[in-house]
Amino acid sequence: MKKFWILLKFEWLNFRADKGLLILTMLTLMAGLYGIYYGTTEIQRQRENIAALKVLTEHNMEELKAKYPDGTDAGDIGYYHSTFAVNNPDAWAGLSLGQRDVNPYYIKLRLLNLQSQLYDTENINPLKVLSGNFDLAFVLVYLFPLLIIGLCFNILSVEKEQGTLPLLLSQPIGLPLIVSAKLTFRMMIVLGLALLLSVVAMVWGQVLPDLRVALWLSVVVLYCLFWFGVAFVVAALQKNSAFNAVTLLGVWLLLTIIIPALLNVYIAVKQPMPQALELTIKQREVVHGGWDKPKRETMDKFFAIYPEWTDTTEIQGRFAWRWYYAFHHLGDVAVADLAREYQEGLQARHQLVEQLNAWSVPVNVQTIFNAMAGSDLPSYVGFLQSATSYHDALRDFYYPFLFNQVKFTNADYAKEPRHRFTSSPDFATVSAGLYKLGLSVLLVFVVVFFLFRNVKLKVR
Amino acid sequence: MNTVLEAKQLRKEYLSKVALQGLDLQINAGEIFCLLGQNGAGKSTTINLFLGFIQPTSGAAFINGLEVAANVTKVKEFLAYIPENVMLYPNLTGLENLALFSSLAGFDYKKDELIYYLVQAGLPAEAAGRRIGGYSKGMRQKVGIAIAVAKHASVLLLDEPTSGLDPKASNEFSELLLKLSDQGTAIFMATHDIFRSKEVGSRIGIMREGELVDVLPAATLNANELESLYLNYMHV
Repeated sequence: MKKFWILLKFEWLNFRADKGLLILTMLTLMAGLYGIYYGTTEIQRQRENIAALKVLTEHNMEELKAKYPDGTDAGDIGYYHSTFAVNNPDAWAGLSLGQRDVNPYYIKLRLLNLQSQLYDTENINPLKVLSGNFDLAFVLVYLFPLLIIGLCFNILSVEKEQGTLPLLLSQPIGLPLIVSAKLTFRMMIVLGLALLLSVVAMVWGQVLPDLRVALWLSVVVLYCLFWFGVAFVVAALQKNSAFNAVTLLGVWLLLTIIIPALLNVYIAVKQPMPQALELTIKQREVVHGGWDKPKRETMDKFFAIYPEWTDTTEIQGRFAWRWYYAFHHLGDVAVADLAREYQEGLQARHQLVEQLNAWSVPVNVQTIFNAMAGSDLPSYVGFLQSATSYHDALRDFYYPFLFNQVKFTNADYAKEPRHRFTSSPDFATVSAGLYKLGLSVLLVFVVVFFLFRNVKLKVR
Repeated sequence: MNTVLEAKQLRKEYLSKVALQGLDLQINAGEIFCLLGQNGAGKSTTINLFLGFIQPTSGAAFINGLEVAANVTKVKEFLAYIPENVMLYPNLTGLENLALFSSLAGFDYKKDELIYYLVQAGLPAEAAGRRIGGYSKGMRQKVGIAIAVAKHASVLLLDEPTSGLDPKASNEFSELLLKLSDQGTAIFMATHDIFRSKEVGSRIGIMREGELVDVLPAATLNANELESLYLNYMHV
């Protein structure tokens, strides 16, 4: 055991004196800190914007109260009054932004047709998609493997190439002890850094100390172990350092870029998505067509859905809010199948990603992080469903005013329903991903064990 | 006499090539055995077998009565090794390199003691704190000698140890070997240097194509006779 500590101490001295490794480690540390800053700042920015929405709603209500001091037709309020469905971020989202910066995190809603309002903001900033998120999850998933490769590509080959292995092995120590000390030292550096950054991010992001703390740290440790295993498989082949470096970078490229790109193509072919724009256009055509249809026809269709308003006063004249909102409502009904298909398509695509991510450990780990932070696609779909329910609640609130022709007074604003939604972790995805990650680590270490047992060491 | 280093029918084959043909050899405590031979004669193979770096095809190597192949780590407590080209950790200083290898051998020397061994091996004291990366081959060789001496081994395996040393340093190294021999260390030195062999050796072996063709007591020959005999064997 004493010799193990001696070897560890001299690994530290060697590391300390190697400027290249120091720079690589410092760069990873700085990238990690920037990732934490980027993630938490983005979530802070979203929180500030969400807080501003509340003020905006209040302001809108004050304006309407001033405009209609004695109350007015609820149709006016439904048209001019806007409120917001908000996807409040979980504190963990700062660690893994996932899709939070590409999908809308709030939706401005009025009493009009829902579907076009849901997807009005479905436009993605291509520059953001191109650059991706530089959050902590990105640093851990994509950059930490490079640190591990940098530390381990020449773990044994350097001893041979600089000629120190014969002198080292002429001491009363075996190769397993040397390898163990080298591995332990590198693990201490990498895991120390990864866990330190994770803890800093948790403190900075003010996450609650729940089960996810242990889950996140476990995923980080297992993921780093996977890459250590890959590095050791290559080291066991006993090739030169250049071969090892090229091979390991090739594996990194394969797992982080090539396989995910191939999976993306496969998923796009296997699970083609209906476009939200198509849905919006179809709904707009139905709604606009509502102006030209006989009012009786529109109202009959509407009353078939809401029989409770059948006996209300018949529509008179060229315009009535009840009729206006009825044909907007029918616009939603006309595209209900398309809307369901769209959301089911999103879910099905995500399920396919979850099935196929076993082919790429980095993609699997990214999926776990996003699921843990509530920033993945199912969470967004959950938000859309929550916004839909909220819009239904708004209808249920306003329709009695409209159809009973009750004046909407300033006191009624306080009774209007408010939307509440906070993205939450998907533990089923997390546990499935952890299982796959554990298997990947086990598999790679079985290969390491087999190689080190069966490959003869070449001292020179 | 106490036999420290022994080979019994030691044989090593690489595929179809025989690198060492059934070597029988005994080296006693305090004896310096110099092995002469051309490149590829089997000198380094013999040393590698004693170090346990390679496994014998047949036969066995023993150090202090322990079979090397079965006690690879244990026998290294008794031996020190200086290769032809001593390669050390370039980012560490001479002092740190010596401290590493000494502590792995079980000796926790203080800084003064480490410097003493380095200076005794011929390295200037002021160079001890500099990184090995800036050392010449001769300076590295001296650190290698210091590592071997500081280990207080009962067996010293040397593979062309004076390669790269200047004549003065080579002479100092010869004196050091004689001193260690007087203290009871058994020394096995593979070399091309006939005159150094004659100067320090107790016995001189001549190896050709993996076979130990002759063993001569150094005291019975002068350098010219030894050279003539050696060349004679090499031209057969």
